[in-house]
Amino acid sequence: MSKKLKKLLRRVIIAAVLFFPLLILLKSGAFARLPGAALTVMFMVPYLIVGYDIILGAFKNIRNGNVFDEKFLMTVATIAAFCIGEYAEACAVMLFYQTGELFQGYAVGKSRRSISEMMEIAPEYANVETDGAVEETDPDEVGVGSVILIRPGERIPLDGVVIEGESFLDTAALTGESVPRLVSAGDQVISGCVNGDGTLRVRTTKVYEDSTVAKILELVETASERKARLENFITRFARWYTPLVTAGAVLLAAVPPLVLGQPFGGWIHRACIFLIVSCPCALVISVPLGFFGGIGAASRIGVLVKGSNYLEAAASMTTVVFDKTGTLTKGEFRVTEVLPSKEGGLTRDELLELTALGESSSTHPIARSVLAAYGKTPDLTRVGEAHETAGRGIRVTVDGRELLLGSRKLMEAEGIATGEEHPSGTVIHAAAGGSFLGSIVISDTVKEGAREAVLRMKSIGVRKTVMLTGDREEAAAAVAAETGIDEFHSGLLPAGKVERIEALLKESDGRHRVGFVGDGINDAPVLMRADVGIAMGSLGSDAAIEAADIVLMDDDIRKIASVVRIARKTLRIVKENVAFALIVKAAVLILGALGMANLWAAVFGDVGVTVLAILNSMRALEEKG
Amino acid sequence: MKKKFKCEIDCANCAAKVEAAIKKVDGVIDAKVNFLTQKFTLEAADEAFEEVLAAAVKAGKKAEAEFEVEL
Repeated sequence: MSKKLKKLLRRVIIAAVLFFPLLILLKSGAFARLPGAALTVMFMVPYLIVGYDIILGAFKNIRNGNVFDEKFLMTVATIAAFCIGEYAEACAVMLFYQTGELFQGYAVGKSRRSISEMMEIAPEYANVETDGAVEETDPDEVGVGSVILIRPGERIPLDGVVIEGESFLDTAALTGESVPRLVSAGDQVISGCVNGDGTLRVRTTKVYEDSTVAKILELVETASERKARLENFITRFARWYTPLVTAGAVLLAAVPPLVLGQPFGGWIHRACIFLIVSCPCALVISVPLGFFGGIGAASRIGVLVKGSNYLEAAASMTTVVFDKTGTLTKGEFRVTEVLPSKEGGLTRDELLELTALGESSSTHPIARSVLAAYGKTPDLTRVGEAHETAGRGIRVTVDGRELLLGSRKLMEAEGIATGEEHPSGTVIHAAAGGSFLGSIVISDTVKEGAREAVLRMKSIGVRKTVMLTGDREEAAAAVAAETGIDEFHSGLLPAGKVERIEALLKESDGRHRVGFVGDGINDAPVLMRADVGIAMGSLGSDAAIEAADIVLMDDDIRKIASVVRIARKTLRIVKENVAFALIVKAAVLILGALGMANLWAAVFGDVGVTVLAILNSMRALEEKG
Repeated sequence: MKKKFKCEIDCANCAAKVEAAIKKVDGVIDAKVNFLTQKFTLEAADEAFEEVLAAAVKAGKKAEAEFEVEL
């Protein structure tokens, strides 16, 4: 709690301690003989203790020409109440108004703290190494290509590449991922992570302003500035509501007594009720506070939502479109099958070993994946000369025997029959001495959790899941079947992906939103076009993160369903708040105008509603997704 | 030039009022007063930034007396 709030709390407590005994005495009739002036003085004491700053603020604002200010309205309403002899009510209105302010300050502070827990990722300094000397420098002043030293337990200040050292990094603050990540020379490191036990020397690749940590902070801070439609509506509504209700109050106080000659007292009482409920604060605060809570809840599970409007859109997302490579699949090639032929007579291990030896000199990603599957260091003394035939394969001597490794076309060119074609992935065929030895299938593997991610989305009401890919149809079909995706389109160029999204956007009416999940550089236009663009944070390209509306910091697509759930809960809370505040205020206004409500009801219509709306908003922050 | 400052603002409605008032100040390209993060962002031409900033803070204080900026 801030100093300011603590001071306010003390004042509220002192005023309450003075006020309630007075109230009980008044209601029990003990003050029946006392004149109004004495009562005014008695109730003025707690009134001024709790409300002096409101009255001062009101006068300051009048001097500046702001009449429709809530402080001014509160002051007028309470002083008018004193004048017509509603001493206890006048004092109570001020007391409860301030209690409401106290609650509001506390609730906002709490939401703000949870966001600033995120903010703690901000590094304070960088150890820059120049000519062997190390100096602590402001991360803002470190240029690209500088060498920085990161000691155990320190926060990585800038994005870069490790040039020396090995360590585990704690990325939890950025991604919500609790398993530390091992990095060594050659690996990328992102700012905001906490270094483990090793010392790292890192060459920076970005200035602070462009580094991950600065971008994330910027995103979180500006998130509440991108307003949801509901919020814009409320802001416009508030602009009209207060002047209208205030005008209503003036009419109530003036017209019946002047025109119909009725006594002033009763009508001024009704006008006070109007003034007290004329403050739109419950509405104005509860909408952004609810969204703020929702964005905070998402950031706690490692998902950045770039604005309230995107959270609003995510709540009604019923079609989710995925990119294939890197989103549903890992984007890494791996040996998935080893298929020795009958005529070759080799075992699976022998075929793999032979192929690995044959490919040992190649740096091609496919060759590397074969070597990775082999797992041992190839005995290079067994390998002779190798000749690559561009794009088709390799002719290499292994154990003195000529081995042919490559595509089906290479085999056909040599007149070697290869049998049935494998449906998915890239295939290395192996042959020696004119006969086919077998094949090795290399394919991109589906991410762990991809199927679960699709299932979870279905269970929360996503009606259609679609996959778009530039890959061949066979590969696409295999991934679609494995993940349970409803529909796929293969062989698409980036422009084709945009067309597909546009077709889906047309199909869905205004209430149902289309989301796109992607990671690659080619995805940026599609991410922008979709209602909700979701990008991978750690694998993804900067362009994709820039273009996206929601960023998954740890690339876990299962979290999409969690975000939708958080978004829906947030929206439900915000709508509840708006409906509740409008209904209560309307009821108090109508009953007040008819003379059927008292100032206590008005206090509830203002402060009570605000406090309840705030408490309700705070639930959004608690949602775990 | 765009610059961000810490500020003190007490309610969401006040922040909206202050923001509207500052946007009307001569020389202000864009201004934001964020109640939840308590940040005030001002965008103005480099040459006149200091003067515009002073005028903006004054306008903000006029709209809501409690508006304080940590410069």
